[in-house]
Amino acid sequence: MRELELFFGPQHLGMVGNFSITLKVEGDRIIQATANPGYLHRGFEKLMEYRTWIQNFPLVCRINVVEPDHMEMVYAMAVEKLAGIEIPEKAHYIRSIYLELARVGSHLFGLWAYANMLGFDTVAQWAMYHRDLILDLFEELTGGRVYHIYIWPGGVRRDFPKGFEDKMISTLHSIGRCVPDYDTTFFNNRLFYERAKDIGKISRDQAIQLGGVGQVIRATGVKTDIRKIEPYAAYDKVEFDVPVREDGDAYSRVWVIRDEMIESVHMIFKLLDKLPKGEVYNRIPNPFKWTIPPGDTYVRVESSRGELGLYLVSDGGEKPYRVHFRTPSYTHGLVILEKLLNNASIADVGNIMISLYVVAPEIDR
Amino acid sequence: MVNSPGRHNSKKVMCMDDLIKKKLKAVFRGIKVSVEKDGRLLVTARSDNTREVLKSLKDAGYIHLALISCVDWIDKRKFELVYILSSYFENRHVIVKTDLKREKANFETVVDIFENAEPYEREIHELFGINFQGHPRQIPLFLERDYEIPPFRKDFDTRQYVKQFFDEIPFVEEDR
Repeated sequence: MRELELFFGPQHLGMVGNFSITLKVEGDRIIQATANPGYLHRGFEKLMEYRTWIQNFPLVCRINVVEPDHMEMVYAMAVEKLAGIEIPEKAHYIRSIYLELARVGSHLFGLWAYANMLGFDTVAQWAMYHRDLILDLFEELTGGRVYHIYIWPGGVRRDFPKGFEDKMISTLHSIGRCVPDYDTTFFNNRLFYERAKDIGKISRDQAIQLGGVGQVIRATGVKTDIRKIEPYAAYDKVEFDVPVREDGDAYSRVWVIRDEMIESVHMIFKLLDKLPKGEVYNRIPNPFKWTIPPGDTYVRVESSRGELGLYLVSDGGEKPYRVHFRTPSYTHGLVILEKLLNNASIADVGNIMISLYVVAPEIDR
Repeated sequence: MVNSPGRHNSKKVMCMDDLIKKKLKAVFRGIKVSVEKDGRLLVTARSDNTREVLKSLKDAGYIHLALISCVDWIDKRKFELVYILSSYFENRHVIVKTDLKREKANFETVVDIFENAEPYEREIHELFGINFQGHPRQIPLFLERDYEIPPFRKDFDTRQYVKQFFDEIPFVEEDR
């Protein structure tokens, strides 16, 4: 049969953001896939070298559109570590609650994309609606719906407003009440099983060898989570489980996402129970004249897609000398995707990409 | 402290890191190894044995390549390549640094040791102009134009570049 080259993208079902793949196909079998990122390359890392430590906050959150909060967290953690800033106990708890809320929001967005791609429009609309409820919470807490700039070196920008905790609990309960509906319509649906089982399958060894993180590796049975290995914020003060699945296919990955959402909601309730009293913010030096001692650091957090790291270098000045983000989608979208697409069919491209949970702006930065 | 395997194991990890430190110092010439305050292992290797150092660290349990980064120390006329390795199960990571001359910077690829190094090296080649020998496909990753000076180097003047490329486009008002 004749070989053809097919240009797939940059707008398509399999991705939030713009990203294209060049597929070499024979019939509808893919022989070779080449990922082409760069549609969203905004050069954030270079831009950040020209701005002060504080001015960079509005930039970092824009690196990942779906889930800006973990970006803020990793940048704030790195700045705090370089500058030697301590943060109050309550701020640790609020950060954890806020990050888990962001994880639920991001997973709901992922579920929207996945369900939409498979044609489960109803489930997709539910997920989008529930994500909107979480965005309402963020709006009340921070003033912004998508980009929040809430985490700040020294703590968080403000305490929970009056009545916010109750509102958060009732919102999460109302989302939680819909879990059986999600299960009947989507997760236990035969169609989902048929479409996702054994699609984009990756073995445990291969996932480790290719540097997989997050759902991709947890769906192969590797129980690894940075919140457990290297606890930050208040994650060492609360008990939680790390959901894993064994099969390493799209089906397992989407199930891991579902289980993580439920675990996150439980974690928020546990953290709210233990929420201490006190300040949420330690004053930092005047941000206009703030210099940070020379040095470098690598910090990492578990974002909703896996290990999110930041290598930050200071030369003792008012601006960072070098910023380099290690984003989870980078390896998933550029290395693992190319491997998994080999010998797949064209109809499964979107399925494989979105089950790897790749977000394009995070790759390009 | 209910649930913190990382902190629980910290003593064991320290011992392991001390062992690795001894082993690295015995095998490689001109290597500096130190355990930093925050518990990470910092290795400064010579550019000709960095590959071997990475290999032996992988054998010692640092199986996950988290990041390859590059810093342009223009005043010292050198590039610093930074490899960050970690473990999937323990709270430890190691930073391996090596210096390269800024002129005609050249280095060996590590794609055969860590498969996910491929896009990182491509990115550094594109943004800093470092050539990685033996890299399977050193083609552009993000950028669409050719640059005289690779754009992430410190001597790349962003303002001048913008002026050169975009100043010639007239404003909408002038067009009318």
